[in-house]
Amino acid sequence: MAVREPLREREILRYRKRPRVVHAMLASSFLVLLLTGLVILWPALAGLASGGFTRWLHRVAAVVFMAVPFVYWFADREGAKELMIDSFKYDRDDWRWLKRFWSYAFGHTANMPKQGRLNAGQKMHHALVMLLSASIVASGLVMWFFMPSLGPTGQAWAAVIHDLSMLALALLLVGHLYFTFVYKALSGMTRGYVDIDEARLEHAKWVEEMEARTTAEAEEETEKV
Amino acid sequence: MADYAFLLDLGRCIGCQACVASCKVGNELGEGQQYVQLIEKTHGEFPKLTGGWNNHRCYHCADAACVTVCPTGALYKEDGLTRLDRSVCSGCSYCTEACPYQVPVMWEGKSSKCDGCAATVAAGGEPWCVRTCPSDALMYGPREEIRAEAHRRAEVLRERYPNAQVYGETQAGGLGMLVVAPDDPQLLDIPLDPKTPFMADMWQKVVQPSAVALTLGAAVLAGVGGVIARRRHQEELVVLEAEEMIEGDATDTNQEEG
Repeated sequence: MAVREPLREREILRYRKRPRVVHAMLASSFLVLLLTGLVILWPALAGLASGGFTRWLHRVAAVVFMAVPFVYWFADREGAKELMIDSFKYDRDDWRWLKRFWSYAFGHTANMPKQGRLNAGQKMHHALVMLLSASIVASGLVMWFFMPSLGPTGQAWAAVIHDLSMLALALLLVGHLYFTFVYKALSGMTRGYVDIDEARLEHAKWVEEMEARTTAEAEEETEKV
Repeated sequence: MADYAFLLDLGRCIGCQACVASCKVGNELGEGQQYVQLIEKTHGEFPKLTGGWNNHRCYHCADAACVTVCPTGALYKEDGLTRLDRSVCSGCSYCTEACPYQVPVMWEGKSSKCDGCAATVAAGGEPWCVRTCPSDALMYGPREEIRAEAHRRAEVLRERYPNAQVYGETQAGGLGMLVVAPDDPQLLDIPLDPKTPFMADMWQKVVQPSAVALTLGAAVLAGVGGVIARRRHQEELVVLEAEEMIEGDATDTNQEEG
């Protein structure tokens, strides 16, 4: 896999191509699901749902959304494993970081505890996305395949679980975009590189680890020569 | 406009299927599509059998569960009746689950049920079933008149059938189809207390609007907050560069020049 060179010298590779593609797949299917779901929630948009085209689109996007973990697994097994484990593992710095979350949310990073590849907020975000995705997929599949046997109360429960899961995911998306904007992180998911000063501030332990690895590799190279 | 209603006198229904046929032909229903169904019910053991016909069709509830759950507005209330605009239906089938009478069915991917012959009535006619009924079991008119007629008929019926009663005055907010039943309606599988499930009301009237409002509110707050926080973060970067806690781009350029 060809790694594109950073545009500027002061950049660090944050995400390789495969996780970026998986992310794009998740993001696009999620947005389609959000919008095609919204048309039957918001009466003013309901006209768009008539005829069932948005329902068809919702189901196509749902299949893509459900395929994401499998694609991730086949495309980047190590990355998928790392994300799974990282998202549910919190060290002391992470808990200290979470206590000061609001300071970080308002743009202050200098006095935050040092963070690894994922900061504690990102870990929580990913963990919640995984859990809520499971509940939205489960309730969605129930409504897709078992509607005739649900009964009125069962149907309403499935829909309420589906709606509340989407509410939580939509709020997480708002937060996700918020932090991407505040800490200028978008390039990490488009080109793969982020500013190294930003990275050093927000993911100090990870940058140190990366630099140590680069130095070790360089030393190895020198020895070979 | 005043509310309209149907009268269904089960004491007079002879089960002839004329309403079924005229509804189907008059409304040009497709193959397998049916708004009225006659279901015969018998009770007891031979030779002591009792029974009758249930004329199963839309009850036009005032608090219609189908209208509550319909996301597209294909189902709606008009003149006290529950109308269905199939051209707007998305085929979600929420209504078929929600209806306490199990009236709407899916036909060719969309909801299908009696709409009170909206087009025929608008053109000045009577609903097809009413005009065809040979035994005077069906009537259509302003709900108050229909209600009075239903009570008059039940009163007469009670001379021979002491349990005769009017069904539909209070159920589901008051039905747009008042039924004169010679005996307990439950004997014909007509539920005594049909209700929109509590969760269905919560889902459509509380959960969905508040979910949309919360998400939009959060997006607006995040938009404003994000601009402020990003500016603060930029200021912080400048301070950190000045304190040489991080190597800023400016320092870089100087080094290169030097």
